[in-house]
Amino acid sequence: MNKWTKFTLPLLQPIAAILVGLLAGAIAIMIAGGDILQTYAEMWKGAFGGMYFFTNTLSRATPIILIGLGAAFAFRAGFFNLGAEGQMVFGALSAALVGLYMPGPGWLVCIAAILAGVIAGGLWSVMAGYFDARFRVNLLISTLLLNYVAVLFAGYLVAYPLKDRSGSAAMAQSEMLDNSVWLPKLISGMPLHVGFVLAVLAALIIFVLLKRSVIGYEVRMLGGNPLFALFGGVKRGPMMLGAMFFSGGLAGLGGAVEILGSQYRYIDGALSTADYAWTGIMAALLAGSHPIGTLIASIFLAALQTGGMGVERNTEVPLEVGAIIQAVLILFISARFTYSFLKRRKGNKSDGTAV
Amino acid sequence: MEQLFDLALINSALRVLTPILLAALGGALCSRVGLFNVGLEGFMLLGAFAAVVGNHFFGNVFYAILFAIAIVSIFSFIFAYLSINLQANVIVVGIAMNALAAGLTTFSLRAIFDVKGAFYDNTMVGLPKWNIPIIEDIPVIGPILAGLTPLVYLSFLIAGLMWYYFYRTKNGFRFLAAGENPLAAKSVGIRVRRYQYGAVLASGVLCALAGAQLSLGQVTMFTEGMTAGRGFIALVATMLGQSGPLGVTAASLLFGFMDALSIRFQGLALPTHFTQMLPYVVTILAMFFFKDKSFQQDALKQGSSSR
Repeated sequence: MNKWTKFTLPLLQPIAAILVGLLAGAIAIMIAGGDILQTYAEMWKGAFGGMYFFTNTLSRATPIILIGLGAAFAFRAGFFNLGAEGQMVFGALSAALVGLYMPGPGWLVCIAAILAGVIAGGLWSVMAGYFDARFRVNLLISTLLLNYVAVLFAGYLVAYPLKDRSGSAAMAQSEMLDNSVWLPKLISGMPLHVGFVLAVLAALIIFVLLKRSVIGYEVRMLGGNPLFALFGGVKRGPMMLGAMFFSGGLAGLGGAVEILGSQYRYIDGALSTADYAWTGIMAALLAGSHPIGTLIASIFLAALQTGGMGVERNTEVPLEVGAIIQAVLILFISARFTYSFLKRRKGNKSDGTAV
Repeated sequence: MEQLFDLALINSALRVLTPILLAALGGALCSRVGLFNVGLEGFMLLGAFAAVVGNHFFGNVFYAILFAIAIVSIFSFIFAYLSINLQANVIVVGIAMNALAAGLTTFSLRAIFDVKGAFYDNTMVGLPKWNIPIIEDIPVIGPILAGLTPLVYLSFLIAGLMWYYFYRTKNGFRFLAAGENPLAAKSVGIRVRRYQYGAVLASGVLCALAGAQLSLGQVTMFTEGMTAGRGFIALVATMLGQSGPLGVTAASLLFGFMDALSIRFQGLALPTHFTQMLPYVVTILAMFFFKDKSFQQDALKQGSSSR
């Protein structure tokens, strides 16, 4: 019995939140004049109905999972990294640059491009971490601001020096990557690419890392109680730089696999309008920063988006119904922080800790 | 250079800074009571949309603004309830509010007006543009103040009033005390929660005005995501201005000027990316020098910041 409640209790709140989110969606559908059951059926079909749609959802989830994992890792260490967008953009941009200009066999260039993406995202993120550790510049704000700098800088590069002038389209985008550099598809003819495997592997690795390794324990300690971690000899500065590099690197990887696996070029604004970064952060919040949970939540949120597209194709209801469900869901899940907050307060009274 | 700098530039800077200033003052109110309001962007977007909806249905600018204030107040109340009563993480609630506002406005645009992307209606009346009789003819000031909406003047008035409230009234001191040290404030009988609610609701009203200036001020239309990050710029102005009314006004002036300058660059076919980048870079640099201690402590109390 005890074990049973231990497993179901943490699940109770997300499920309640999902139900409330779907209820809010139902109200929105009703207002838009659609049939609720039919719309939800279309949403299900758009996300999971048939092999193509299912793999499309997983392919959309791929960058979201990686970004979500990066955010989750930083949250676990107690750092509010909101810079996923900039880190992803720099990852994507460097992957595109390496893919375009590095000579050599395709597979080598592809691997180099992925590594470049990880390093670019990581370094961009470490910069904010360094500012915080060394100069006490608030991390939350600096990561948020660096997003704009990154997006505008990448936008400048593809609008002027690196602009694709071969086609007739006047869009700000880089040239197309060569066929040989593309990440292979998992099933031919379907949108799903190898990046998804990387994302699942990353989730498993982070799960094991956090649960079973010394570093993972230190990270969780730092996030759970910074004073205790300090007392236990965890050095906050180096930990912060490491955690931020890891977190930003994952976001960069997300951007890189999106470029190499499905877009094949850097298009100005394509990553921002798809809202991968904020969706990834929301997935991490939804799952309470648990790596496997983040994986599942990312697929769920991606399904809401692809399902919304299905709804728009086949009914009168606009696709933003997915966005509404998602936002209401996060609002209600945020009440979970209450629960853990109350628990901690109670705990403090009995253990007599200072903070 | 002469093409770049003239009096009309200051005039357009005043126009573009108004929404930023209004929202940033709202952000300052919130951050003074220890609630870091990331939801400014969403509030502003909702305000812009509600103002257009109100204008469409009531055919009157004044009612349109009242309608926008009412709608955004409801949302800011939800924000306040979740973050104050339920102790939810303010940042998370703010992010969710932004997402909700973006989804809701686009959805309603389809559901109410049955259009996608943008809504425009010839019969809609925008905010009046004032040309004050005597001032109009004064050489330098005349062109600077030409054709500004009442909200431009109102935003500066509100900044002044806020300064007076903060530093010259008893109630304002209590407000600041409630943010500075909630526990101590509570112990002398200040109702901290009441001030927090007041701050969030007031920021909702200010954001509604900011949104109305966006959708009914220069142009009379609503486009999807028309705030385009102005809420975040306002947040940055709050930070840069140390959450004080005068500092926030100065920061907003700077950002408004940068914005006007990049519009000018666009006209000259120069890359605007770097001028657009400038507000963010300036703010990051400024954060090296001014460290908003009180904010960091507030963030610490919320247990949500990086430290």
